[in-house]
Amino acid sequence: MVEQLPFTALLNRLFAGPVTALLHALGVHVENPAAPMSNAFAMEVLVFLLLTLFFVIVRSRLSVEKPGGLQHTMELFHEFVVDQSHEIIGHGSEIFTSFLVTLGLFILGCNLIGLVPEFESPTASPVVPLGCALVAFFYYHYHGFRRQGVGKYLLHFAGPMPVLAPLMIPIEIASHLARVLSLTIRLFANMFAGDMVTLVFFSLVPVAVPVLFLGLHVGVSLLQAYIFVLLTMVYLAGAVAEEH
Amino acid sequence: MQDKPDKPAGKSLWVQMAEYSELAFLLPATTVVGWLFGALIDRWLHTTWVYLVGLIFGIIAGFIQLIRTVLSSERKP
Repeated sequence: MVEQLPFTALLNRLFAGPVTALLHALGVHVENPAAPMSNAFAMEVLVFLLLTLFFVIVRSRLSVEKPGGLQHTMELFHEFVVDQSHEIIGHGSEIFTSFLVTLGLFILGCNLIGLVPEFESPTASPVVPLGCALVAFFYYHYHGFRRQGVGKYLLHFAGPMPVLAPLMIPIEIASHLARVLSLTIRLFANMFAGDMVTLVFFSLVPVAVPVLFLGLHVGVSLLQAYIFVLLTMVYLAGAVAEEH
Repeated sequence: MQDKPDKPAGKSLWVQMAEYSELAFLLPATTVVGWLFGALIDRWLHTTWVYLVGLIFGIIAGFIQLIRTVLSSERKP
């Protein structure tokens, strides 16, 4: 059995009963009814709670005359996403900003929380990147349908030549599903490899050297969160673009 | 917030990097998707060969998408 992290054990102690009952009601088989929540799920909950707390603090300190350090940082982050989405999606990209900022911060939080002792990165477990990729997948298709209408959006799957439509539709479907897989594998593999490299070097040379790899882990965490959001923007741009 | 009028002409280095890094994943990902579809149909219809068709279809789909992506990125600035 996988060892529970302290936070996972706490969650399981407090909520095992209701969570097991909920999973049973949904028809999900629970292997261990005393501990239905995995480490990855517990870490996701922790990241969610920390982000909520963080934004409550930032919100309570908002000031036009005297903006604090936190406000400046978040404004910079927001501006960065706005500029980037404008560059990729173009006019009307502002409506996606809240989703993209939330997605970026959640993935970044999930990546970085593994650096804290007694915690681990939930993105090093494949289900969490898969969940994020599915959210991005449904989100960009939803906006594609919303912006272009069902008929016009589905028509672009058929390609420019109606004769080739029977061939192009399965190819388009496969390539859209491949996006989910590629987003998932990229994030999962990078975070898992980062954790493994740090662990291996820690077991070989426990002093000083692991710090270098922790630094590398921070870099990879930032880069992977950025690339995930960037690719979501690219997919959104493709879905809401008028010409195909 | 000010409304920005148009999309800038060129793509930044990071955007290009993200788009091109996607190409590395495209071929294996479409192959796996094709194989998965084939394997699901095999399980559903109790056959043993559709997974091969799915696999080959996935590889072809990957190549076509790869070529389309490269050609379209060559056309765009």
